[in-house]
Amino acid sequence: MLRSEHVMARIFRGNLIPHRLPPEDGRAVEVAETLCELYAVHVGRERSSLEEEIVRAEEELGPRLDPRRGFRIVRALAKLLEERAEWVSPTTADPYTIRTRIFELASSLPELPAAEPGLLDTASRDDILSQVARETGLENPASLMYADRQSAQLLGEFYKPAPQELIGRYNVAQTQGVLYSARDLVVDLDGRADARLVFHYVKLLGLIYRLQTTETGYRLYLDGPLSIFGGTRKYGLRLAKFLPGLLLTEGWELSADVIWKGRETRLEMDSETCGLLSHYAGPKEAGEEEEVREAFQRAWERAKETGGWRLETGSYILPLPELKTALVPDFMLEHTETGERVYLEILGFWSERHLIERVSLLREAAKRGYRVLVAASEKLGTSPDSLSEAAQGPAVVFKGRLNPNAVLEKLDAVQDSSRATAQ
Amino acid sequence: MIELFYESGTLVASGDRPPEPFVWDKRTRQWRAPASAYRQSVLALRESDTPHEDHAARFEKLSLESRISMEPRPYQREALAAWRRNGLRGVVVLPTGAGKTAVAVNAMERLGRSTLVVVPTLALLKQWYSVLSDAFGGSATIGLLGGGYHEITPLTVTTYDSAYIHAERYGNLFALVVYDEVHHLPAEKYAVIPQMLISPYTLGLTATPERPDGGHALLPELVGKVIYRRSAEDLAGSYLAPYELVRIPVELTAHERFEYAQADAVYRDFLRKHQLRMRSPEDWQRFILVASTSHSGGREALLAARRRREIQNLAMRKGVTLENLLKKHWDDRCIVFTKSVEEVYALSQRFLIPGITYETPARERKEILDRFREGRYRAIIASDVLNEGVDVPDAGVAIILAGSASHREYVQRLGRILRPRDGKRAVLYELVTTATGEEFTSRRRREVFA
Repeated sequence: MLRSEHVMARIFRGNLIPHRLPPEDGRAVEVAETLCELYAVHVGRERSSLEEEIVRAEEELGPRLDPRRGFRIVRALAKLLEERAEWVSPTTADPYTIRTRIFELASSLPELPAAEPGLLDTASRDDILSQVARETGLENPASLMYADRQSAQLLGEFYKPAPQELIGRYNVAQTQGVLYSARDLVVDLDGRADARLVFHYVKLLGLIYRLQTTETGYRLYLDGPLSIFGGTRKYGLRLAKFLPGLLLTEGWELSADVIWKGRETRLEMDSETCGLLSHYAGPKEAGEEEEVREAFQRAWERAKETGGWRLETGSYILPLPELKTALVPDFMLEHTETGERVYLEILGFWSERHLIERVSLLREAAKRGYRVLVAASEKLGTSPDSLSEAAQGPAVVFKGRLNPNAVLEKLDAVQDSSRATAQ
Repeated sequence: MIELFYESGTLVASGDRPPEPFVWDKRTRQWRAPASAYRQSVLALRESDTPHEDHAARFEKLSLESRISMEPRPYQREALAAWRRNGLRGVVVLPTGAGKTAVAVNAMERLGRSTLVVVPTLALLKQWYSVLSDAFGGSATIGLLGGGYHEITPLTVTTYDSAYIHAERYGNLFALVVYDEVHHLPAEKYAVIPQMLISPYTLGLTATPERPDGGHALLPELVGKVIYRRSAEDLAGSYLAPYELVRIPVELTAHERFEYAQADAVYRDFLRKHQLRMRSPEDWQRFILVASTSHSGGREALLAARRRREIQNLAMRKGVTLENLLKKHWDDRCIVFTKSVEEVYALSQRFLIPGITYETPARERKEILDRFREGRYRAIIASDVLNEGVDVPDAGVAIILAGSASHREYVQRLGRILRPRDGKRAVLYELVTTATGEEFTSRRRREVFA
């Protein structure tokens, strides 16, 4: 993330265009490479000297890269590299103890310690330092007096990126930067978007959403708790942190109203053309769960008889606004004649905490009248009855793969029970 | 029945329809109000005898007894009385050095409820930590939020920046909020802080509530109106000590003068050739830009400019003059102010006296100032951290080494040694290198007294 003073953008016909470095631009790559190298060769050396070199790089490389903005570009790139650096203390001694002892000794003298030993019998600076050296066993206590300062730290480790990677990171960071001053964010999701991932970040960042259905999917309005009392830019930082989360998936468009240098502007982007890559790793689930999901989908497609039920694979969002999140089931099953809808949620092999959270979402969805069928692997160690009770809905426990027939059986049961309640 | 909850900087109500200013939040299907509506809402519910349960407030009662026996000065007592009359809300305006902090400590002691103190700088964060530890350290632990600290206790000090980010997590814990240098609050960014706090009681402190952007008009809504105001003139003579200003010109050594003249010539020549002015930091950036892209003489001009600055800052004789002053005032509690943090550390290592900068950890800072106050340390060196309302009592001598040319800063620095001390005349030395750019800075700084 960049500091606001490094964020740059221009306005074109009311549209806000964050600054970009073209990854194929030779000069930009060269500057990025030089900076990466600067950090890399600095391992084991002091922070203060690295900072001096960065200032020099700013003055030398900056204007050649871009006459007006070069300074800030170099500074911003360095800031992003800083995130990949680890700093360590240069000494095992405690500088605080050393300096405090030195100050106490000096202050106890009747006169300011003399700079150099003289003819008079007054204690000199060297006398005090050698006394502390004797007491502590350190060779040069004066040099360690402030070894705990940040500027005295040594670069311990640096995870050097490729220059193109740094430039990519820069481009995302500039876009994040203009979002700092956004009041809200509007995100359109179509069928390709991984809505579950999107809500993972909505929840994680404490954002509040409003949901609308559109012709192609959903529209999300994102802001924060205080936003209804007049727009605030307080949540801009969170919206900025949300962006790399969104970049992990496809099938989205976003827009934000941003006050830029006193002017009302609009930031617009979509997954097709933004050309930005996320640096987030994404939530850890997936894996085995994904396999179960795909295997089930294949088995369903091969199945001859599906009792009039059709499997839909797009993202379906069941909003749970009071919980500030939504349930995004794996599949939706629609009955071709009755139009009846049942959602299918496959539980992965998660931690207990995660599982409890997900089951509580299922329960809340059931309360709101959504019919959700839960499928869980027997590895989870739960019985269909207890699962069914916890989730307040029908449950299937499967071994290895989830079989379409087992699901269809339960679907009939769901239908029967709904008929029973209808009558 | 209405139940009130605190949620991320807002109040949420469930049950019956709550009073104004709650609004229906369609996004989450709840009644919601800014946290700042707490006082008004609870009073309305009580007055109308509406049954309600308050799950929002998590205030704590504290038995605070200040360990420092401070007999409040008459005007401090008047300020407190005015604050009580106004329902424990409002802004107190007192000049620098008149003991605004003491007013707040007194208010906290009388109220005996969990309190959040919000300050503009890390230096003030550490200063308040130190004052509150002295006063209430026996009966409470002081918390810090900001500058790398994240420790919340019923008596917590934080910065405006940290409050802006974190208030929504802790906004229901404090019954009283003290805003130090409250003229910072009406900035667009910070004005959202009070919205996130349910604290029914507020106290704002400042010497200068007026803001050039007119933002002070918002103060009544954010903290309450100005309830007490005294100017420096009102209090002069009786409470603020007189001082003496001594300006010492420091000449460069022959070698330095030669080097300086050379560097200066190269630098000025370049400015002339490229028709550059040098009046503001932006001009400096422009100069670097032009110099670093110029093919003829740019690099030399850059080096000359740097060398020129170095000589200005590190003039030998300045060091020697400082040494003489420190010798002379070794028994008078001396504070040295410098322009740069690096200079503090260099001088601290050279003269073996403690240095204080914004980097100094809160506990060590307190220890150094305590020892200075007790006389265990004879002199200290500080960078800009001792500005704006930071309290250094009982210093007899201040020495300024090349401060920057800001009026406000200068006056506030003077405020530091204007502390009353019986019969003590404070001396302020200003060391200025002659025949360099610093002379101009010094002249500008003194215009305030003209």
